[in-house]
Amino acid sequence: MPKCIIDGKELEFKPGETIIQIADRNGIDIPRFCYHPALEVVAQCRMCAVEVEKMPKMQTACSTPAGEGMIVHTASPKVKAMRTSVMEFTLINHPLDCPICDESGECTLQDYSYAYGTPDSRYEENRRTFIDLDMGPVIMKNMNRCIHCTRCIRFCDEVGGFREMVALKRGNSTEITTVDGKPLETDYAGNLADICPTGSLTLKDFRFKKRSWYLKKTKSVCEGCSQGCNIELHQDGNTVLRTVPRENMDINKWWICDEGRFSFHYIHSKSRVIAPAVRNNMQLEETDWYSAAEEAKRHLTGKTLVLIGTDLTLEEMKSIQTFTSIKLKDAALFHYGTPEIIKASDDKEEDKILRRTSKTSNLHGAEKLGLKGWDGSGKYDSIFIFRGGRAQMLTNLRKTANHIVGWGVFNKEALDGFDVVLPGVSFAEKTGTIVNWQGKEQKLGKSINALGDSKELSEAFTFINR
Amino acid sequence: MSEKIVSKFFYNKEAAKLDYYKKHGGYVALKKALSMKPDEIIAEVKKSNLRGRGGAGFPTGMKWSFIPKESKVPKYLVCNADESEPGTFKDRAIMTYSPHMMIEGMIIGSYAVGANASYIYIRGEYVREAEYLEEALAEAYKDGLLGDNIMGSGFKLNMYVHRGAGAYICGEETGLLNSLEGKRGEPRVKPPFPAIKGAFGGPTVVNNVETLANIPAIIEKGGEWFASLGKIPNSGGTRLYCVSGHVNKPGLYEFNCGAVTLRELIYDHCGGIRNGNKLKAVIPGGSSAPVLLPHELDIALDVEPMMKAGTMLGSAGIIVIDETWCAVKAIKRITHFYAHESCGQCTPCREGCRWMEDVLHRIEDGHGKESDMALLLEVADNINGKTLCALGDAAAGPVTSFVRKFKHEFEEHIKGGKCPNV
Repeated sequence: MPKCIIDGKELEFKPGETIIQIADRNGIDIPRFCYHPALEVVAQCRMCAVEVEKMPKMQTACSTPAGEGMIVHTASPKVKAMRTSVMEFTLINHPLDCPICDESGECTLQDYSYAYGTPDSRYEENRRTFIDLDMGPVIMKNMNRCIHCTRCIRFCDEVGGFREMVALKRGNSTEITTVDGKPLETDYAGNLADICPTGSLTLKDFRFKKRSWYLKKTKSVCEGCSQGCNIELHQDGNTVLRTVPRENMDINKWWICDEGRFSFHYIHSKSRVIAPAVRNNMQLEETDWYSAAEEAKRHLTGKTLVLIGTDLTLEEMKSIQTFTSIKLKDAALFHYGTPEIIKASDDKEEDKILRRTSKTSNLHGAEKLGLKGWDGSGKYDSIFIFRGGRAQMLTNLRKTANHIVGWGVFNKEALDGFDVVLPGVSFAEKTGTIVNWQGKEQKLGKSINALGDSKELSEAFTFINR
Repeated sequence: MSEKIVSKFFYNKEAAKLDYYKKHGGYVALKKALSMKPDEIIAEVKKSNLRGRGGAGFPTGMKWSFIPKESKVPKYLVCNADESEPGTFKDRAIMTYSPHMMIEGMIIGSYAVGANASYIYIRGEYVREAEYLEEALAEAYKDGLLGDNIMGSGFKLNMYVHRGAGAYICGEETGLLNSLEGKRGEPRVKPPFPAIKGAFGGPTVVNNVETLANIPAIIEKGGEWFASLGKIPNSGGTRLYCVSGHVNKPGLYEFNCGAVTLRELIYDHCGGIRNGNKLKAVIPGGSSAPVLLPHELDIALDVEPMMKAGTMLGSAGIIVIDETWCAVKAIKRITHFYAHESCGQCTPCREGCRWMEDVLHRIEDGHGKESDMALLLEVADNINGKTLCALGDAAAGPVTSFVRKFKHEFEEHIKGGKCPNV
């Protein structure tokens, strides 16, 4: 393999690799705004310029392919001076409204300003100003903060699949906007906020919710569909505030879809049942775990149908199988999750990017354990239903059986016919393993403690087994 | 005696017609070229020492030789008729009076590089010139000079006129190609160079109008003859100089390359400065060329001597400024142009050009500060050589040269709180 020298280190590279790719691979930090490994190289921001021996001009590391024996300096006085000058240019029109900007604390511009900028500004002229633009339900744009890196334009073009964002006018008046100011239509709009290196594009959902430095981060996996996109849950105290994608080149690259990104909101929904409840006449009434468990045992009589949500982890599914084999010997076990999707082969890609038609995360894991999908048929005496939070809410279960007991995350409005509800935990409140459509096993991370009186499945079984 | 090649038919409207052009030796070179091998044509152009007339002065033969012989995707020849550099008006005259000379050059060039489609990218403001070209193309098609079987040789070439939408940056070759493809007129990252990946992803050669108009003469009379016309090594043929501003006889002048100096051109050929005024400054190569003072004019008018003198011949748009004009106002106007025409994609040019304009505006209005001159030089230095395309350099060079060479005028503005010329 050919070799080049970056900052005195001899480094091997594959022909065609650019300086920034080699530097990234070897832990050499080169600042950048417009470069993103997923997007076309445009070399616009000039922040990544480095000095290459025998070349008269500074070269942008993102666009310059390495050559055999090339000697590159990324920290020479010339490089530092260039970074300072680019930072000066970049900031002359930036409002520096970090105290009220959501990006603050995780802002590339802010970090580079700290690292490469000067403490004072020589700019005395008027700043250009724009009016904020509502870019649809997901994104809010503040053009004043924009540094024209055009990552958003290229994302829509190259990843999102169609050109929704454009640069209007030119030169200093260039405005980055959607076509005709229309709302974004892409199902992946949230990623724009992630790749925006400033606070120009922010998530409406997260706006003014929390200063980023208060957030704790938990590595996990999205439960929105069978893709299993890698994510990070960001929580403060016992509240999940947002999810962001985590790089995994085999599964989701750098992205997640909006459906997956925002699906966590049910965790903190007011309609979520977080206390055990038992039917008394027509009404479900809150009670304690002891009484609820007793009631559950009383209702689980005769021929039982056990319905296992494909939004549960492998560990949970196995423990249900074990529980059933001991306590409900004649029970029939089935999985359920997405309407019309009975078996793993029904799960197809929903678009060319990430989304899949199975709207639960562990359909393929359930099949691996030998479970079959429930087609809605059969008559039983009782049903024990388990749900993680994403599986479809089954109504009309009374048609199938007269006694219904449920454990898991349920919505108060969708408990028609339930006799006992044992509140369980969502994907953010537990650890466990899920299997995506490719057969990859991945671990959920526990971001927050169980809300209210909700209990993990193992604990719930302890109560029932007493 | 200076040879007249491209200006041979100037100011004769009749010459734009195919009949007239053919009667006066037109398309003889094409006939000859089609009997030659493409490589022989490229060798002849190399021998001629023809340098690009658009601004950069790159040897044309070498540019053609960069086009790969074999290509899986179609190859293109594009004529850059954007002529957007302020002070330049030579291509317009060629397209008006000798459109067939340029078209003939384009056909020969396309044959040499193996292109079967060719575009004339003409600036949007040249409405009449675009019409003249369309008429000329129609004549050429009708006469079998374009189309499926050119002059019975079996060579196929289609040619199209594409009008720009009025951006200076579309005169930059990759900005031009983007615009031609229907995209935003922004220069591309190089490499890949257009010779490898140009229009629609195919190998593309982009030549200026005047460059292409010289090709028929080279093929007809030979590269050696053309090279011998140049009075400077490595620069063959003649050149059109566009003289504008405060001279008695502004206009287009054709001379052998390097045969006259800037001083001779202004005083001997253009009749000196208007009203007997004193000369103040000369911008020698379109508005992006660093300015020259009256004592700096004894430079042969060609690419290399100008470069040695710290400026450039560029598109040979010579702007003459006399003593009645304010230097600060002049550079403010030039900088306004570049700030307005910056495409806005790269940081130093987008932010820096406007910044320089604002500071110059302040100084001209009498609100300048002592530190502003140093600031202008630093901002210009932070743009120069650090941008994606040459527009940044084009904006920074003039500012640096004006601030250095007219220091006293800047100081008078700043200290006096107003323009001393008002």
